[in-house]
Amino acid sequence: MTGANPPSPADIAGDRPNHAFADRTGLVAGSVAVSTIRASVRWIRADLKARRVQALLTVLAVAGIVTALITSATLLEDGTNPWRGLFAESRGAHVWIHTRDAPEVAALSRLPGVVQVAGPYRSAPVTLTLDGKKSPVALREMSATPPKVAVPLIREGRPLRPGDTDGVVVERSFARALDLRVGGPFPVTGLNGATHPLIVVGLADSTDQGFYPEWTPGLAWTLAPVLARVEPALGRSESVTGLRLADGEATLPAVHGAVTLLEGQIQRMSTWREVRASMELDNRLLGLLLALFGIAGLVAAALAIANAVGGRVLTQTRDIATLKSLGYTRGQVFGVLMAEHGALGLLGIVIGLLCGQVAASFVLDGTPILPLSSGPLLAIAGGTAAVVCVAVALPAWRGGRTPPIPAAPAAPLRGHLSHLARLALLLRLPPALVLGTRDAFTRRVPAFLSIFGVAIPMMMITIGLGCWATLDDFLRHPEQVGQAAALTVRPDKLPADEALRIARADPGVLAAYPGAEVLALEPEQTRSVLTRAAGTSAEPYPFSVVEGRMYAARGEAVAGQGLLDLLGVRIGDRVRLTVGGTPLIVHLVGRVVEPDQDGEVLSFGIDTLAAKDAVPPQFYSLVLRPGADPSEVRARLLTASGEALEVHRVVNPAERLAIIRVVIVALIGVLALLGLANLLTAAALGLRDHAFDLAVLKAMGLTPRQVAATLVTGTGLLIVLGVLAGTAAGASLVGGLIDLQGHSSGVGAGIGRTPSALTLAVAMLVAVGSALLVTLIPAGRAARAQVPVTAR
Amino acid sequence: MTSPVVDTVNLVKIYQDGEVPVPAVRGVDLRVEAGEFVAVMGPSGSGKSTLIHMIGGLEARTSGEIWLDGQRADMLKESAWALLRRRKIGFVFQFFNLVANMTVADNVELPALLAGVSAKEARRRREHLLGELGLTARADAAPAQLAGGEQQRVALARALANKPSLLLADEPTGNLDSRNTRDVLRLLGEVHREGQAIVLVTHDARVASLADRVVSLLDGQIVDDGGAGLARRRPRGGAGDVIELRG
Repeated sequence: MTGANPPSPADIAGDRPNHAFADRTGLVAGSVAVSTIRASVRWIRADLKARRVQALLTVLAVAGIVTALITSATLLEDGTNPWRGLFAESRGAHVWIHTRDAPEVAALSRLPGVVQVAGPYRSAPVTLTLDGKKSPVALREMSATPPKVAVPLIREGRPLRPGDTDGVVVERSFARALDLRVGGPFPVTGLNGATHPLIVVGLADSTDQGFYPEWTPGLAWTLAPVLARVEPALGRSESVTGLRLADGEATLPAVHGAVTLLEGQIQRMSTWREVRASMELDNRLLGLLLALFGIAGLVAAALAIANAVGGRVLTQTRDIATLKSLGYTRGQVFGVLMAEHGALGLLGIVIGLLCGQVAASFVLDGTPILPLSSGPLLAIAGGTAAVVCVAVALPAWRGGRTPPIPAAPAAPLRGHLSHLARLALLLRLPPALVLGTRDAFTRRVPAFLSIFGVAIPMMMITIGLGCWATLDDFLRHPEQVGQAAALTVRPDKLPADEALRIARADPGVLAAYPGAEVLALEPEQTRSVLTRAAGTSAEPYPFSVVEGRMYAARGEAVAGQGLLDLLGVRIGDRVRLTVGGTPLIVHLVGRVVEPDQDGEVLSFGIDTLAAKDAVPPQFYSLVLRPGADPSEVRARLLTASGEALEVHRVVNPAERLAIIRVVIVALIGVLALLGLANLLTAAALGLRDHAFDLAVLKAMGLTPRQVAATLVTGTGLLIVLGVLAGTAAGASLVGGLIDLQGHSSGVGAGIGRTPSALTLAVAMLVAVGSALLVTLIPAGRAARAQVPVTAR
Repeated sequence: MTSPVVDTVNLVKIYQDGEVPVPAVRGVDLRVEAGEFVAVMGPSGSGKSTLIHMIGGLEARTSGEIWLDGQRADMLKESAWALLRRRKIGFVFQFFNLVANMTVADNVELPALLAGVSAKEARRRREHLLGELGLTARADAAPAQLAGGEQQRVALARALANKPSLLLADEPTGNLDSRNTRDVLRLLGEVHREGQAIVLVTHDARVASLADRVVSLLDGQIVDDGGAGLARRRPRGGAGDVIELRG
């Protein structure tokens, strides 16, 4: 049929051939460039069409990694922390000082760096009672005309007006937590026991203090006459003054100045850093996790891309040679390969940039986000582009050096038996396995690249599983992260003894430890730290001590990593604090895992506190019997006390970190894509290298199934090695990495968990199994296919 | 008088494989005039493929000169050779070497586009060439869907897309059955009659018989030059005699 239609002897080549070499050898560079582009576009289009899946994988992998990096940078940059925006909008004060009496404004405004002074405002502690639930509130005075500094930003309702005899403006996070609405009741009880039915007129954002419930008490503003009515006694209220500084970074001189000026007067101080930290919502941890995954993922992606391009160049050697014989120069081949594979990477980056914005908002579930500033955005886009370019450039350069003789066979493969193959031979494994083992390492560099390409995603997956295991451990063994007690009981209306008796009577309660939390001024008196009395020296609360020992005598204390870092002290040091004016000197004897307050908590026996702070105990921490359901116990306790007790469930930090699980699953998906991309490359290369062998193997009498087994063994061995190496590396790194993170976040080292052996085994089996399944398809097809007889 | 399309002077190629130098072409002087059809014959390993690879710039010469259309080409760099190939030289290989991912039409249009022709003109040329070669119906097919003879005809169309002054064919029928061989040779003959200079490498005497002139290579040297009178180093009773008898 091929020769059935012979062409007419007409003019086949068109015009007469052109012999004018001499006058036209100097080709016009411009037209050549344009023409090359046209020809190259055809080639690229055809190539992409031929390997849609691989191209899609490259794009998805790069997009996933850029998404992870953008999200992490957004989280790390505090773009998600509303503090930045709110502080600027409200012209917030950098330092807030709580004093007994109103300080002298003129003297404060003369302090170094102070630009403006907010207040002093009178503030009274009151209790809000809604639906039987009591919440402490700081009711602060506010003028009807908005102040110049630290303006409450009215988001709903209206600001206070002169003549508002019962109106309050409530801080929004507090209102949200208590479900307060504009126009709703706000019944408060002063210290004298009188209840005042106030009305919520507005909800406002503020950076005067952090978000409720991380920061208590809740905040509400009202006009001075109303406050005077609620709390007539000046002695039972405090004075709150804000300092706005010229340079927010330089809080220390102003703070020291204020301490000197108001000596003895200061009850509490806070700076913008603490406010910001309380609004942070653990995004830093998430950000770090994402950054770690993103960067390692970038390395894995670079490997995957280099592998993919390198493999593609090898499989296309003949086509590239043909292009060169048609007149492509070395540089143009390089350019075409760079353009094709680089474009895929760039497309991935663009998609990743878009997804990054969406992902950040998804992770934060509606929290308003300031977009990432252009610096890190450009760095991520540029960095990823550079990595992609380098990853493409090396194999593309090799592609450009392909000799232009299409018929020339590829460099002969080194055919020596690897050690592994010899071992396989010695063990008298089936021939297919021996041959496959030999094939695995015929090309050393691609073989090792394939191993690394699988190992890095696997390592990251193992680390992800380790984070998962750590979270599980938090939930399953809260006592190991310093949360032995599942419930806290506040006596409220009942005497403390009665509360203790009711708690101990419950069958689900194993032990009840008396506790109190007081704020103490740290030695330099620049800020407050939380000190927590729990248990007694004789019967200490079961903290999870990871360094040193538990406190065992009066005056001994244990601390979280955050406190050690904050005060710059070590175990064995003595720390001097001031609690409500009384000095308190404790001997640090141990470090505990401390998930609260960034680890900036000092804990000791309640007998260490002065009696005025310790008797009666503010609350009892209840350790439940194994298997007891906290909510059932809580319900029983409430019933037993006739709703007189206040019973709270302790919030496990892992519950707040639940979003990390979503992130881990998503990242494992991206990493699996990367592994898959590497796998396809390795399989394609294996097929290409052994296309000739297949004929020989069949001639030798191997069945198609044995041939397929040979191919799968060749690729599978690399996968198994990669998976093993990656899992081992990940498992040995994960504990240390999480502890490092724990250390820097203040919780402290000692929380990191390696995934269980079973999890690791399952992960490895799934990885190897699915990889082998994926390789089986092309291998089976190749084994059944006609043996190629043409040169490659 | 116009200068010859190809003129090689004492062309030598020595492969340096490890310690031992392997001479493939040993001082070949070959002159091909415009419109001439030269067949280069010789047994396997006689250096005939190396010779036309050097003439097309696919391989660098070790020493000697290559003149194309009166211009010296052996000093050109790789990229300059590439530019030269785009417009002046068409290649046909034994294994067709069509770009597997591209359609027949794209394969044929590629060299024209590369030489700076507009997409429209490239399509016109492709339609014309495929029409002449009886392949219009297969324009959108992938090379793998074509029979060997068809693939070689597409390769021929691709080689002719830029109306090269020189067509180099390396065993173009080496992989074809006799019927397809006949068709491809007829096409080559027709192209030649239109004035196309062709250098064809083959070890098949029947194929060589189509040429104006048969040059016989043995161990990298010309042992017989059928069109150029007496060869300089022609030993009597060599392989060339057989070819001349058949031709």
